[in-house]
Amino acid sequence: MVMQSLEIRRSSASVWGIPSGIRSLPIVSKYIDTSTCIGCKACEVACQEWNDLRPVQTTQTGTYQTMPTLHPEFWNLIRFNEQNFDGGIAWIMRKDQCMHCDDPGCLAACPAPGAIVQYANGIVDVNQDLCIGCGYCESGCPFDVPKFHATTGKMAKCTLCVDRTTVGLEPACVKACPTGCLQFGTKDDMVALGNQRVSQLQTAGFKNAALYNPAGVGGTGVVTVLAHGDHLDWYSLPSDPHVPILTRLWKNVVRPLGMVAIVGAVIGAFGHFTKYGRKEVPGSGDSGVEPPGA
Amino acid sequence: MTNGWIDIKNADVILAMGGNPAENHPVGFKWFLEAKKTRGAKLVAVDPRFTRTASQADLYAPIRPGTDIAFLNGIIRYALADKSRYHEDYVRLHTNGPYLIGDAYKFEDGLFSGFDAAKGEYQKESWGYNPDAKTKAYGVDPTMENPRSVLQLLKQHVDRYTPEMVERICGTPKETFLKVAQIVTSTGNAARVGTITYALGWTQHSTGVQMIRAAAILQLLLGNVGRPGGGVNAFRGHSNIQGATDMAGNFEILPGYLKTPTSAMTNLQGYLDGATPTTLNKQGWASMNYFVNYPKFMVSLLKSLYGKDATKENEFGYAWMPKVDGNYSWMYMFDDMYRGSSMRAGGKEPGPEGFVTFGMNPVGLGPNSKKMIGALSKLKWMVVVENLETETAQFWKAPAEYEGGDPSKIQTEVFLLPASSFAEKDGTFTNSARWLQWKWKALDAPGDARADQEILARIFLAVRDLYKKEGGALPDPILKTSWAYANPVNPDLGDVLKEINGRALSDIPDPKDPTKMLKTAGQQLDGFGQLQDDGSTMCGNWLHSGCYTEAGNNTQRRVTADPTGLGMYHNWGFSWPANRRIMYNRASADAEGKPWDAKRIGIQWNGEKWVGDVPDMKPDAPPGTFGAFIMLPEGVGRLYSPVLNDGPFPEHYEAVEAPVLNALHPKVTSSPVSKRFSTDKDKYGTADKFPIVCTTYRLTEHFHYWTQHHKNGRLNELQPGFFVEIPEGLAKEKGIANGSQVKVSSARGAIQGVAMVTNRLKPLKIDGKETWHIGFPIHWGFGAAEGHRGPLANMLTPSAMDPNTWTPEYKAFLVQIEKA
Amino acid sequence: MSATPTVGHRPVDLAVVAARDRENIIVGNEIVRHKRASRLIHWTVSLTFFVCLFSGMPIWSPIFGWMAALFGGLSAARVVHPWAGIAFALASAFMFFHWVGEMRFLPSERGWLGPKALEYMRYEGDDSEVGKYNGGQKLFFFATSLGALGLLVSGLLMWWPSVFPRLVLQFSYLVHDITFIFFAIAIVFHIYLGTAAEPGTFGAMTRGTVSRGWARLHHPRWFRDVTGDDNSRRG
Repeated sequence: MVMQSLEIRRSSASVWGIPSGIRSLPIVSKYIDTSTCIGCKACEVACQEWNDLRPVQTTQTGTYQTMPTLHPEFWNLIRFNEQNFDGGIAWIMRKDQCMHCDDPGCLAACPAPGAIVQYANGIVDVNQDLCIGCGYCESGCPFDVPKFHATTGKMAKCTLCVDRTTVGLEPACVKACPTGCLQFGTKDDMVALGNQRVSQLQTAGFKNAALYNPAGVGGTGVVTVLAHGDHLDWYSLPSDPHVPILTRLWKNVVRPLGMVAIVGAVIGAFGHFTKYGRKEVPGSGDSGVEPPGA
Repeated sequence: MTNGWIDIKNADVILAMGGNPAENHPVGFKWFLEAKKTRGAKLVAVDPRFTRTASQADLYAPIRPGTDIAFLNGIIRYALADKSRYHEDYVRLHTNGPYLIGDAYKFEDGLFSGFDAAKGEYQKESWGYNPDAKTKAYGVDPTMENPRSVLQLLKQHVDRYTPEMVERICGTPKETFLKVAQIVTSTGNAARVGTITYALGWTQHSTGVQMIRAAAILQLLLGNVGRPGGGVNAFRGHSNIQGATDMAGNFEILPGYLKTPTSAMTNLQGYLDGATPTTLNKQGWASMNYFVNYPKFMVSLLKSLYGKDATKENEFGYAWMPKVDGNYSWMYMFDDMYRGSSMRAGGKEPGPEGFVTFGMNPVGLGPNSKKMIGALSKLKWMVVVENLETETAQFWKAPAEYEGGDPSKIQTEVFLLPASSFAEKDGTFTNSARWLQWKWKALDAPGDARADQEILARIFLAVRDLYKKEGGALPDPILKTSWAYANPVNPDLGDVLKEINGRALSDIPDPKDPTKMLKTAGQQLDGFGQLQDDGSTMCGNWLHSGCYTEAGNNTQRRVTADPTGLGMYHNWGFSWPANRRIMYNRASADAEGKPWDAKRIGIQWNGEKWVGDVPDMKPDAPPGTFGAFIMLPEGVGRLYSPVLNDGPFPEHYEAVEAPVLNALHPKVTSSPVSKRFSTDKDKYGTADKFPIVCTTYRLTEHFHYWTQHHKNGRLNELQPGFFVEIPEGLAKEKGIANGSQVKVSSARGAIQGVAMVTNRLKPLKIDGKETWHIGFPIHWGFGAAEGHRGPLANMLTPSAMDPNTWTPEYKAFLVQIEKA
Repeated sequence: MSATPTVGHRPVDLAVVAARDRENIIVGNEIVRHKRASRLIHWTVSLTFFVCLFSGMPIWSPIFGWMAALFGGLSAARVVHPWAGIAFALASAFMFFHWVGEMRFLPSERGWLGPKALEYMRYEGDDSEVGKYNGGQKLFFFATSLGALGLLVSGLLMWWPSVFPRLVLQFSYLVHDITFIFFAIAIVFHIYLGTAAEPGTFGAMTRGTVSRGWARLHHPRWFRDVTGDDNSRRG
């Protein structure tokens, strides 16, 4: 939902790639501390409640995790993972949601003008009015976030509660989080908080603790504290996320070249005509040449 | 809780045992994390399963379900082995460690002295203190070296609990156990404080009370009771279960934990004499023995019950009070129902013919579901007051495996009265921290649903009308009951709270200055200190007195100022007793009244009075006047408790169903005073047929047996179905794949669900033998919403219970498991 | 020179109309090159192609966003496109089997990928052995058939983005695009040659007939086969 057109930094399928908004705002960010997440799923419910998403029919398959992946009506999923660690177990609980990349792959892949926008504060949002439901964004996202909603025929994902944050509230999940492992604020503040927590974890013995804010997508609007920063797979996080090379190749190379080629073909045909003219049937038209054997 | 939720942030060490607070108390759990983040506190989780709490812990120790006493006694032994590991000054000052015990007390071969094998009970006379022959004062040895001193007896008692023995019983690797012991006892000094938190993982055992006793003993030894960041903290399982307990949730107590009179107590004075504790003299510090005020509490309660009809002449209506003639706890009640007869009064009487149940689901929550359903089938009528159609409301529809029999043959007439939910009525919640907090009605109840108080009031008024019209046997208890509410059919809960707080019925003179009045007639009282035993005050619950004073409804206070910086928030709601945030806080200071730790002041003596938290002490009594534990006749904390039904010290007994015999005394393997039942439904399994230990628990996603009944409930999508957590090795052995169906059976029945094969449960080496344990959550039932039905977990749990509280043993029993 | 009659000038002759149901026969002054079924198939393919084109181009690039207006907006275009694509693929498949028998390459057609095509475009090629279809037409036939297949397969993968892996999708977009680009270039020349560059050709796909002269010029061997006239062999 587009709240303020003056606050749009980037817009999908924009012909010239020029921001349509002129305002600049501090970049906002959500802080997720997986090391103090207890997987209570209050954020999952808060997300559903605030966004008026309908309950999804799930089945118990032998895990605490609500469902295998994000869903068009479930934008916030705690991923549970058991790992052997240090002679014992680490039970990882990681909040999966849209990462609000600085360089969003979904936006890069989206063909519908204005369907995916990035606001001046960094939030990446799907404009349901303009979304055509093609699903290109699914291929462009390195985090497997956008999901196609079969009923609406549109894509859906976390909006970072843009309708709340715009009026100065924290996202619903942050509001509901009982342990404080979710925080919301400016990106600078959240990164500082994250670094502080990481060093605390390192002191406490988690030598590989790290803040997940991958540079490949220009940093994310969701910074995540990981106790086991050397095991990103435990968290189902890609080690080097970026806008896919094939998406870039497709959008930035093949498409413009293709356009040139097609236009070139038209011009070529025209040029051919000016040089060679028609290939007339002898004896017909006004070529004045008798058909052979006529 | 002796302390409070927020106070946990003041701890240096948190031992989470017998509970899974991250799962069941996620909001309060934030204070665990706060302590970890801001103070570098160490969180130790001891649990059969690697839980959500364990995922946050600095140290996790596995333990076999039901063996917590062995573990705790092991820590106590570890602490007592070295004076640097326990807080000796505190023990000498604030506990009965120096007190001498009579020579009759003994512990031999798993039995304490005084065991009456015929009755299966202890006669407790031999457990008494050894008073000085001349002075009649408590015998005390301040050096605590006397072999009959409590400390030495304790040392002797726990000496068997070596780390090796702990490993043998609990299955906890010795090294892990020692790490836990080291961390926990690091608080056994003035500089550091630790807290112990628990929940139903302790209470729901045949030795539940003694588990908590062991924790209390440990905390007293470490000097952690009464101090900010310390205490023994029970986390309650409902938003208002503390309030329910305070207001006479059990048959044996009246509001404020006064004792329910028995049929033998035929007059008030006799009852009061029996209930009011007496204290022995003591050199040095005396005991306030605050319960000498018991008659004031009781008479004020009688005045609130019978109003003007309660007079001195008729013993304030004492005769109209119901008296009990035996044990009316849950399992006895259902046993009577199931048998259709009662033996409690000695003779054989008919069992109950009717049953009224408010806001609970007996079929779901009682142990041994088949017996619960069988019991309800014997009734003539049942009234269920609920906002959802629970398993109880449709018990006759139970599937065949519950053996409820042919529904057409069940004669029980069931009335389902739609009730409003918590959000559809005003009132208070009393949380685990003993805080009474008012909550406001959020929305109107749907349809014909009514608030509980209206349903109760209408029933009461209708019954009273019948008595008025028809007379009948013993009409007085009903006719004389005071019902002085502005709206008698739907009493305002503010009025009820005022009644609970208590008010002056006539002018009360100030004892310090007789020319002044403490209160004039009709005024709300400031607290239980103003209660009288002459009928001039009334009070519905002395413990809550102070919640609604002349200043207004204090449970509605929401002041966020916290001058202590310790999270006490004295102007937020009202905390019983007397708005005190930390109980026994006198123990947070030393003999001179100086706090053990200047950064964490409970209370301190400023030369004139005690300041800090609301003092658990006469506010102007200088240090050295009274002992810190004012409610106990001894005036000090009890390392040795001569009053419980199963012994003065905690002793490890196996659960009623256990995979091994007791390693300490195989002849007395489970608690000698834990009762069993004998109907055809009360079956107990043995390890040869049921070799796997099982425990039950709750999930953060669900609320008891309730949320599953919601159609379209979001919580149902979070945890959509019943599952059984199974260790990987056991699953492999049995050929069970994750996500497949498994059947779990006990001596009582069998249930089926989805296998959750996990690494978070590990086999434990018990007495040298690899022992498996599994577990499953309790939330499902046959009456749940379509698509969310599941078995009742309690189909498998045994009819076994704690001998003090009669709480069923839900947490440790034996099962077998197979592919379904 | 004799005027070549056109449809517009001629009275409707039912016999002629009936005759145009069959191919490779002489009807009056003209030769039936494509019977009605062939023409129907061709135009079906053509129509579905243009629907695909106009519904696909605005998704391809916002520059062509205006084309979406033909369908009632981009969302509608996106709904129409895959179904039109299916129709196009079906029609193409039909066309493929309809014509594939006549599209066998002859040894003499070697070189159509290079010099012969250039010669042809310079109007210099003069191969008296050109049958009903020249090598370029055959190449075009197979290339577009292959292109249609490529568009179909990649398009189907793109249709269910939630089902297929991201990498597969990313490849599909590329394949769909590249195929389309080549397809579009080919079509530009197909249309150009069929209309402006080679008069008399368009009629083969409208009325179905060509003039004897046209046939003799472009497809001499076919002309001989149909007419039995061997004059074209000379020169």
